[in-house]
Amino acid sequence: MRRDFLKMCGLAGLGLAAPYRGPDAAAADAKKDEPYAGPFYVVFNASGGWDTTYLMDPKGVNGINRLYKDGDILTKGAHKYAPIKAHAKGGMCNEDFYAEFGDELLTFNGLDYSVNNHSPGARYMATGKLDSLAYPTFAALVAACRGPDCPLAFLTFGNYSATGNLVAMSRVPYLPSLRNIANADGVGGNEKSPYHDKFALDRIERALQEEHEAVAASPLLPRAERAENMLYAAQVNSKALQRVTQYIPAQIPKERMAQQAEIALASFKAGVCVSANLTIGQFDSHANNDPDQMKLIPEFLAGIAYLVRRAGELKIREQLVVVVQSEMGRTPNYNAGNGKDHWSIGSALFLGKGIKGNRVVGATDDKQFAVPLDPATLKLDKDRGVRVRPEHVHEALREHAGVADHPLSKKFPLGVPDKERLKGFWG
Amino acid sequence: MSLPTRTLLFAAALGGLATVAHGQDKPAAPPAGCAAAADNFFEDEVWAKVGVRSCLTCHRKGGDGEDSAFVLQDPRKVDGAARDAAMRHNRAAFAKMAAAKEKDKSRLLLKVVGDLDHGGNDVLKPDSAAYRTLAEFVRRVTGPAAKTTDVAGDPKAPPFFDGVVMLDNRRLLRRVTLSLAGRLPTEAELASINKLGLAVLPAILDAVMKEEAFYDRVREGFNDVFLTLGVDGNPDQTVLSYEHFGTTRGWYQKHDLSHIKDEAERKRAGYKLADDYRKALLAEPMKLVEYIVRNDRPFTEVVTADYMMVSPYTARGYGIFDEVKGKFKNPDDPFEFVPVRLKALASRNKAENQESATGFYPHAGLLGTFQYLARYPTTETNRNRLRVRMYYQHFLGVDVLELAARVSDAAAATAKFPIPTMQAAECVVCHKTIDPVAGLYQDFWRFADQGVFGKRKGGWFKDMFGPGFEGEDLPPGERWRALQWLGERTAKDPRFAVAMTEHAYYVLTGRKVLLPPKDLEDPLYAARLRAYREQRKAVEAIAARFAKNNFNMKGVFKDWVASDFYRVDGVATALKDPCRRAELDDVGVVRMLSPEQLERKVAAVFGEKWGRLQGELGMLYGGIDSKEVTERATDPSGAMGAIQRILSNDVACKAVARDFAKPAAERRLFPGIEPSVVPGVSADNDKAIRAAIVHLHERVLGRYDAPDSPEVDRTFKLLAGIVADAKNQKGIEKREAYACRPDRDAPNAAAKADDPHYTIRAWRGVVTYLLRRSEFLYE
Repeated sequence: MRRDFLKMCGLAGLGLAAPYRGPDAAAADAKKDEPYAGPFYVVFNASGGWDTTYLMDPKGVNGINRLYKDGDILTKGAHKYAPIKAHAKGGMCNEDFYAEFGDELLTFNGLDYSVNNHSPGARYMATGKLDSLAYPTFAALVAACRGPDCPLAFLTFGNYSATGNLVAMSRVPYLPSLRNIANADGVGGNEKSPYHDKFALDRIERALQEEHEAVAASPLLPRAERAENMLYAAQVNSKALQRVTQYIPAQIPKERMAQQAEIALASFKAGVCVSANLTIGQFDSHANNDPDQMKLIPEFLAGIAYLVRRAGELKIREQLVVVVQSEMGRTPNYNAGNGKDHWSIGSALFLGKGIKGNRVVGATDDKQFAVPLDPATLKLDKDRGVRVRPEHVHEALREHAGVADHPLSKKFPLGVPDKERLKGFWG
Repeated sequence: MSLPTRTLLFAAALGGLATVAHGQDKPAAPPAGCAAAADNFFEDEVWAKVGVRSCLTCHRKGGDGEDSAFVLQDPRKVDGAARDAAMRHNRAAFAKMAAAKEKDKSRLLLKVVGDLDHGGNDVLKPDSAAYRTLAEFVRRVTGPAAKTTDVAGDPKAPPFFDGVVMLDNRRLLRRVTLSLAGRLPTEAELASINKLGLAVLPAILDAVMKEEAFYDRVREGFNDVFLTLGVDGNPDQTVLSYEHFGTTRGWYQKHDLSHIKDEAERKRAGYKLADDYRKALLAEPMKLVEYIVRNDRPFTEVVTADYMMVSPYTARGYGIFDEVKGKFKNPDDPFEFVPVRLKALASRNKAENQESATGFYPHAGLLGTFQYLARYPTTETNRNRLRVRMYYQHFLGVDVLELAARVSDAAAATAKFPIPTMQAAECVVCHKTIDPVAGLYQDFWRFADQGVFGKRKGGWFKDMFGPGFEGEDLPPGERWRALQWLGERTAKDPRFAVAMTEHAYYVLTGRKVLLPPKDLEDPLYAARLRAYREQRKAVEAIAARFAKNNFNMKGVFKDWVASDFYRVDGVATALKDPCRRAELDDVGVVRMLSPEQLERKVAAVFGEKWGRLQGELGMLYGGIDSKEVTERATDPSGAMGAIQRILSNDVACKAVARDFAKPAAERRLFPGIEPSVVPGVSADNDKAIRAAIVHLHERVLGRYDAPDSPEVDRTFKLLAGIVADAKNQKGIEKREAYACRPDRDAPNAAAKADDPHYTIRAWRGVVTYLLRRSEFLYE
């Protein structure tokens, strides 16, 4: 039924009216009633600007860090990381994080955010485009390309979350609220007490389908086309939410990142979600940098660890692709308030399906400036290398997700020349 | 503009350029008495694509390039003839720079790529479309005239709204009354517009904009813009500081409730008192907006009002209740608001009392309200810059962070200078605008829950540009009223009227106005630019009338409602041309209703709200909390689709049998049909059912369908199909489902629920079907 309607959309020239149906639509349609099985994309945001020198890009020189010296820096395989066990307040320290995940981690150091303001930085890191408010975040783009039929295709818990009008953004602040709406056709959510007899409900659905087909066949403004398709898809696809309830845990965790992770994981496991944007804030440590970062970095790492471990319990860990980022770094010096201000150089972490771990790409020098690299070899090349910016990372992410050539991606080009593409970035 | 006119202007412009090209220093001016407009190639291409984006930020008075020989004017800051003059000035400046040569190459083209020690380094790449535009301009200035390639203003293009269908008057009226007053049009209003057409709409709107529901909508809509409901913490502590209101802000804790004898009830009354007090405190800023609109006061008062709004409860918090209680109609109503002036703030330490030449707090509309300042707080390092960002965005429509251009190496620039914000060109570009305004807020230097007013020990920062506004320094004598000084300048700034007009558009449509397209390489660039310009023309025209009409905000709503942009309904034929699709991409209201709007619409159609789109469910349905979630969802997710299904099932469940249980004359949904009328039995029955469907379509969807239309056919088929299916089922109950019975607890409830032919349940299916459609869920 839905398949026919979507074909009609194509015939009616609805073009990019969501959801997009590509050349492999027939194959996709055959599977459309099946839960989306992955990969699942999770973007962790350390909102406010993290201090990378207390995590994956340790320095310990030139007064950059007060909590450790150069010689204290620890390693795990190819990784160097800051020793924070003695200072961490709660959560998970670097030592434990690297011990558990170092073999899977890909670190990129020396990312040039180009700006040092929160709003443009968050937009740039989320979309790969600095000077446009129209571009979708990577999480939204990949959801639109890979799972447009999923009722919660793109989940977000904050940070910059623009969708480029490609897919609806889902905000699910409380896990139990999903349980409340999962059985929409039952009185009080009770499946055994339906509002309508089944034959009546079937008639209603058919009438709605016919109505939508009639609307689709009529001339419409582009906004009206999008709205009709989004609305129809939202209502039809919402039935799949019934699958989520079984994965809602009896005990809701208290930690804010774990709560977000549980909502995302239940949605992934139920096959109703492609990507999730998880975030915690307050990293903007202009005053008292070290105490703030020592509280937030461990909380952040614990959230990542929680998600990955729980994904293992739910048997979807192999399908996870995790991106860990922030919108800026922090200065290589302390201000008068023992804080650190905005710095336009930073790092990102990646782990999961298709990502070769135990690797570090890029670097900053001992003054925390980015060192250019040769995109063909990923080796540092101070003189002839390129400054790697968010668009380079996003181009690589699009390629990794297999959506770089998708028509929706083409609608939002990143403008990275071929010669600047990061070859072999994922290993 | 017709082709001959355009050609004439272009020729005239070339005449002016030729003068400059021959090396005269004097800027090209039109002949006396001739108010020739600037040539279109310059305005449409050079200025739109390069000048305003890449040059104006620095090369203007107050900018980092103000001392150079290339100083431009911002046409957005002036209007009318002054705007044309600014554009001519800019064209002349560009032409002069284009004609000047350095080793046979135009200085203009050398500067933009960073040569000749350009202070702003390379602002364009030589292979960029913007550079090519500039090169074409240089060619025109220095070479023989060539045919224009002004694609953005194709003279052969049909009118922008060509082929676009507008709402008929009845449906426009429904859209307006639902949007602004949360109700359906009255019979009298419909009769009036049917008889007299659109001419009566302004009068109807005048009446609508006197209804209480309209003022609720105004507050809700402008809170979506200013978000002042999102103040953190308990407002009796975050809005009212301990320093200035420590003895009065907790009045409710000692309020005498001894007349309530029952202890539990007294406790509940105490909680309600505190709750109402806090709600009233948060409500004050939007009550100010309401007061201005309600009393037809100039909307500039949102930045200039020398008063604030208080209720009997909040007045107690400020410690002024005894002074102002005579102004209230009901001194016990927590939500009756009146305008008052607050005395200058007295601190616990007298040395820190607020200075004031008048003895009063220097109110400046929203700018100086404690709520606005607490909602957008400062920090030691932020130095009021967040407040400046919000000031520019809210009151001048400028996103200062959009100015944040890519820097080749921002970290290096930051590290190179002791005070980058005053020395590094990349930083100065923005900070020269932002920091002076931050200085105007210098006396509001308290953090987090310490209140908002208080001076910084040791004086204001020396490593920031001094207090002022857009190149004008704050006179020291005005410091005590710096926000009033800012408000006065804001009200006079043409950008203020434009920004408020844009806010009204946001309130009406749920989305922001278009931004100019940036990607010059986009094959649809010209189409997108045209869409932007057409909308901009409407914005500027409405803003101009707004200013002329003494800044009456109701006039802006009326103008938008009457505009083509609001009245658009559809297209006559399918849009196959990608350019035309791009032009019309954002046209049409097509707004998914917010949780609040949807509740109001349910109430308007069915007589009462659904009542569930609040709290968690409201947030899940795309609502905002004005704190962390500040933008409403514009497209439905699957979760929202599920809520739509629940709503349609539940509202139909509550409404249908209940409506049938009433006498026919009192029914909203089924005044002309009875459950005993079964489809397919007789022609009369079917005719009556079709008439009932026509009524439902009009009431629920706002459609005016003919009884034999395909739309009515489809609904009839649904009803008849359900009834027929039921007839063929075994063991079907002869009564409506228990959950959907009217007066379920009444003694004769079961009898009222009799449904022997399954028609009540079939009509419920019809209403469910209608409630799930876009005509109901969108506007």
